[in-house]
Amino acid sequence: MLKIKNLHASIDGKSILKGINLNIKPGEMHAIMGLNGSGKSTLANIISGREGYAITKGDVIYQNESLLEKSPETRALDGVFMSFQYPVVIPGVNMTYFLKAALNAHRKHRDEEELDAIGFLKLIREKIKAVDIDEKYLKRAVNDGFSGGEKKRNEILQMITLEPKLSILDETDSGLDIDALKIVANGVNQYRSSENSFLVITHYQRLLNYLKPDFIHVLIDGKIVKSGDMSLASILEEKGYAWLEK
Amino acid sequence: MTLNHLQKEFDKMMNRDYFSDTVHPMRKEAFAQFLDLGFPTKKWEDWRFTNLSPITKQDFSLSEIQDAPQDDLDISAYEIEDTHTIVIFNGHLQNSISSLENGVSLMSGLEYLTHKNDGFTQAKNTPFDLLNTAFMDSGIALVIEKNMAIKKALRILFITSSTKNLMISPRVHIDLGNASSLSIIEHHVGDSESAFQNESVFVSIGENAKLDHVRIQSNANTVSNMANIHVQQEDDSHYSFFQFANGSQLGRLNLRAELKGEGAYCRLDGLALSTNNQHLDHHIIIDHQVANCISHQNFRSVLQDKSSGVFSGRTIVRKNAQQTDSHQSNKNLLLSKNAFVHSIPQLEIDADDVKCAHSSTTGALDEESLFYLRSRGLDILSAKNLLVQGFVSEMIESVKHEATQKMIQSHLQNWLNSNA
Ligand SMILES: Nc1ncnc2c1ncn2[C@@H]1O[C@H](COP(=O)(O)OP(=O)(O)O)[C@@H](O)[C@H]1O
Ligand SMILES: [Mg+2]
Repeated sequence: MLKIKNLHASIDGKSILKGINLNIKPGEMHAIMGLNGSGKSTLANIISGREGYAITKGDVIYQNESLLEKSPETRALDGVFMSFQYPVVIPGVNMTYFLKAALNAHRKHRDEEELDAIGFLKLIREKIKAVDIDEKYLKRAVNDGFSGGEKKRNEILQMITLEPKLSILDETDSGLDIDALKIVANGVNQYRSSENSFLVITHYQRLLNYLKPDFIHVLIDGKIVKSGDMSLASILEEKGYAWLEK
Repeated sequence: MTLNHLQKEFDKMMNRDYFSDTVHPMRKEAFAQFLDLGFPTKKWEDWRFTNLSPITKQDFSLSEIQDAPQDDLDISAYEIEDTHTIVIFNGHLQNSISSLENGVSLMSGLEYLTHKNDGFTQAKNTPFDLLNTAFMDSGIALVIEKNMAIKKALRILFITSSTKNLMISPRVHIDLGNASSLSIIEHHVGDSESAFQNESVFVSIGENAKLDHVRIQSNANTVSNMANIHVQQEDDSHYSFFQFANGSQLGRLNLRAELKGEGAYCRLDGLALSTNNQHLDHHIIIDHQVANCISHQNFRSVLQDKSSGVFSGRTIVRKNAQQTDSHQSNKNLLLSKNAFVHSIPQLEIDADDVKCAHSSTTGALDEESLFYLRSRGLDILSAKNLLVQGFVSEMIESVKHEATQKMIQSHLQNWLNSNA
């Protein structure tokens, strides 16, 4: 599904990613752990198409095509989704309107009929139950007046509504209390299938205990220095990252 | 327009036999004062950023009787549901297709003058005030007796449609007696390719009275449009004003609100959408003359291409205007690198126990927000349009008259689509 080959990237001439290799197959969940500043969000942003990065070497292949020249919306419609580390507040833009427009863009792309207001409401009422978001939030502006945890649940709501094939969760667990964490983890677990793949970025074992990813990778200074299974998360929790640095 | 040419037009008007000579002395005095001043130049403090050449580089002529429609007009293209409408075509009042609710008296300028015992309010804030007094054509006054609540919104539909370069000088007096209320919509439209409209509106709101005033400036993008609005508020009166401007080559709103009675509330909002080389201005003066008044200013502009605009907001709080609560916000969204805006907030505060806040921001679309929307599958154009809608939605939603709000929404949609 996703193949990252020797990816090097820099911002303003500063080298951030220094040769990332990663291969995610359909249905797999990979986790990336690493300290602040190691380049996790940079990787997520590059996959989802944010501008401002210079790709100096390597490639990102998604469903057998390079993503790098594609617009963020093309990637999204082709099934790439990122849950933002810092979801954006957009004053004046109504949640329902936004989400309906986004869903209909996806449906149109999949040659499905677009939903009208009633059809959308019916669908979204089901979806919000899964992430325990009150309907009143749908009447607000995007992320406006949402607490940190509500913003993250809103990201998961968008994920399960848009039904991507590859979901990148950038620190979706940060700042969540235990109840919210369970809700987020449940939302993600329900969405797992033999086709849907995940790249989960986190600092903590906590979320991973709920998600039980297939692979764990440790990112230090723009490189994956170690990969393993769930047991690696426990070792990191216990020993930290220092033992992995040279 | 040369002063020479104006003088000729003025003489022409003074010789019209269908004009009453009662107001001639008033016109003469104003015109003499105008000639002394001339048109403002860029050296004038308040006119530094408004390029008046669309007005000064062209000669305009008076609208004559023959510029009035010969048959009944079809105004269905400008329909706004749920309103009474007064139609003014090229400066000529069209009584036969106008309608009014009981309780509103529509007077001619002359009748109003008598009604006021010859004590017309005049204004000399700018040369355009004087020019309006000198040339006023469609003088009308709307007088609401005290305690009258007028339910249906009253629209004044100004149509400018001519192949000539017309100069039109509408003059409107709106006079609300104590504890009365009215909702008024000025609707400026028309397909004139070149015209200069210099409009003056005098609003007087009695104690406890309430006026809702919407001004829609949607005339052709080739017209020049000066709006000179003067508001006086008595004790506990309410005034809310909203201007939506997408039309005119040069459009400038000069609004001065004088809060003369304690407890007055004044809310002024404006939204301008400009493209090509349009220049749309908001020049606001709020004068807190007495204590315990509240004023809010909220002006926004969205600018495309090489268009430009000015927001100038002056809040004056006089020495005895204690407990004034005044708030001003100006936000400008630049959709093109070649568009620009001058934002000039000015506070002149002589009282010490007051709350005065102001803020001003000018910038492009937020890149983060744009990426967020696109990452959810919205194409770049839809994402941009959605952000623009978000920027203006609060303004448009504040329009209380439903059909008017709908119409402004559709103007916005058309504006967004035509920029695509
Ligand atoms: N827009 C930016 N401009 C300059 N440097 C940046 C920018 N974004 C991130 N960086 C730098 O890139 C490095 C990696 O950042 P990031 O990918 O956000 O790390 P992580 O998500 O692992 O905490 C950090 O050193 C950070 O300071
Ligand atoms: Mg990060």
